[in-house]
Amino acid sequence: MDVLPVPLPSAKMAAVEKRRLPVAQAANFTGSGRSGVSRAAATAESEEDFLRQVGVTEMLRAALLKVLEARPEEPIAFLAHYFENMDLRSPANGGAGEPPGQLLLQQQRLGRALWHLRLAHHSQRTAFNNNVGVAYECLSARGRKKKPGLDGRTYSELLKRICRDGEAPEEVVAPLLRKIQCRDHEAVPLAVFRAGMLTCFVLLEFVARAGALYRLLEDPGLAVADRHVGQAVLDTLEGALQASDDTTPARYLEAGSRLGPDSLALAMDRALVAQRPSAPMTREEFLEKAAALFIAKVKPVG
Amino acid sequence: MLSPERLALPDYEYLAQRHVLTYMEDAVCQLLENKEDISQYGIARFFTEYFNSVCQGTHILFREFSFIQATPHNRASFLRAFWRCFRTVGKNGDLLTMREYHCLLQLLCPDFPLELTQKAARIVLMDDAMDCLMSFSDFLFAFQIQFYYSEFLESVAAIYQDLLSGKNPNTVIVPTSSSGQHRQRPTSGEASMLEGVEAPLFYQCLENLCDRHKYSCPPPALVKEVLSNVQRLTFYGFLVALSKHHINQALGALPDKGDLMHDPALDEELERL
Repeated sequence: MDVLPVPLPSAKMAAVEKRRLPVAQAANFTGSGRSGVSRAAATAESEEDFLRQVGVTEMLRAALLKVLEARPEEPIAFLAHYFENMDLRSPANGGAGEPPGQLLLQQQRLGRALWHLRLAHHSQRTAFNNNVGVAYECLSARGRKKKPGLDGRTYSELLKRICRDGEAPEEVVAPLLRKIQCRDHEAVPLAVFRAGMLTCFVLLEFVARAGALYRLLEDPGLAVADRHVGQAVLDTLEGALQASDDTTPARYLEAGSRLGPDSLALAMDRALVAQRPSAPMTREEFLEKAAALFIAKVKPVG
Repeated sequence: MLSPERLALPDYEYLAQRHVLTYMEDAVCQLLENKEDISQYGIARFFTEYFNSVCQGTHILFREFSFIQATPHNRASFLRAFWRCFRTVGKNGDLLTMREYHCLLQLLCPDFPLELTQKAARIVLMDDAMDCLMSFSDFLFAFQIQFYYSEFLESVAAIYQDLLSGKNPNTVIVPTSSSGQHRQRPTSGEASMLEGVEAPLFYQCLENLCDRHKYSCPPPALVKEVLSNVQRLTFYGFLVALSKHHINQALGALPDKGDLMHDPALDEELERL
């Protein structure tokens, strides 16, 4: 009884895969046979990875060893009690010791929160705020932890993840993160969370639009823009943003007009006419500067 | 129930007796199918709930047929679930057709095979007039042995056919100088006059069957009792007798006929609604 036969967990996994593979294969039967099989094999492989990452493989191996050691009369009931005790001993329930795979569960929670956040565009304010609320709850509920709530570390992770998925270059968003991040163990209240999420998504859209703007400016052959033209655009942007400091409607109009085709065209014209030789402006530089304009307006989390 | 000998068994045999690996594999499959939801309460909790539901016999609800028939415990749990869910059919005294009972079964198991329900109905109706109506208790007890002892009954049917056609499975075949004749009792003329097979011979064959095979067989003592009361019997006669005999206690899944409508636990829950 001393040594559990080594192939046991992998035999189990193989059995699991065997049961799932035919289903996947049957589903792919009418399609391309070979790619169907390889896709099914890939699924089985990723499932095995998942099981190992969350610690299921280890968990079941330990459980099985315990069963063989105790040889209870009712092994199924024994297993039920065994896992119940394990659950009670987890930190979520005030116990010591990290259950395996906690990190992956965190990732899943983040994924789910992200899904909620993306359901509505940030301009649809009511819907967006509702979704933010749901995402906040999703991240705050951590099993039977005594103090539910969002901690700074999870909040920072979420921000980084949003920016990464939004394909914003790191240098571009780093200043923002520095401004709105909270300390790891700080509790993040809903209001801060909401403001942070909104800022993040708006910035991402801003960066995306700046990127589109840059594409208009860039020389198709060289993939860079004339520095002065670029700078002119940025200055115009800055001017528009400053105008919107004051939130009276008149100011909005002014900002809008500055960004309108006429003003912008004029600014670009002036720059082109000047024609001083200079190093071209790359996309990254343009985006960084544009983002900086926006981030300058963001209030840091105090 | 495992005997104290379980302590001396080699690992694989001990695990196999209670189908521990079957349930562990199934638990992992269920986990993979539900992995999006797991983040909420953790894996240990998932396994706790899974194994608890196996103990309580609720794990078979709405599962595929291949899982429901995988272990004796699963089959017994399914029988029990069927009884508890639909005993009101019996309470009202309704009589249903085979197809209607099949619909009920499919509510609990979407891919339950019609063939099995048909076989169960044949036991009640003695292979006659398959459109007839059946009472809940008749159907339930016939279904019990058909479903729980599926494999056993198939072998019994084969043995019965052999006996009917004059072949005795127990016969020792001795090659003689003449062209390999079997040493059997002359049959075709006599057997067609009498219905069924001889009980003692039948019992012998079944005894051998129970000895030889690992899948669930009714307790041999029970089979002996059923067969000792008659001289001859037909296949369905045997099954009916078996279903009505004290097989309930052997299986432990269903209550006796008198208590079929009696389920205080469920009644209490229904009161609360």
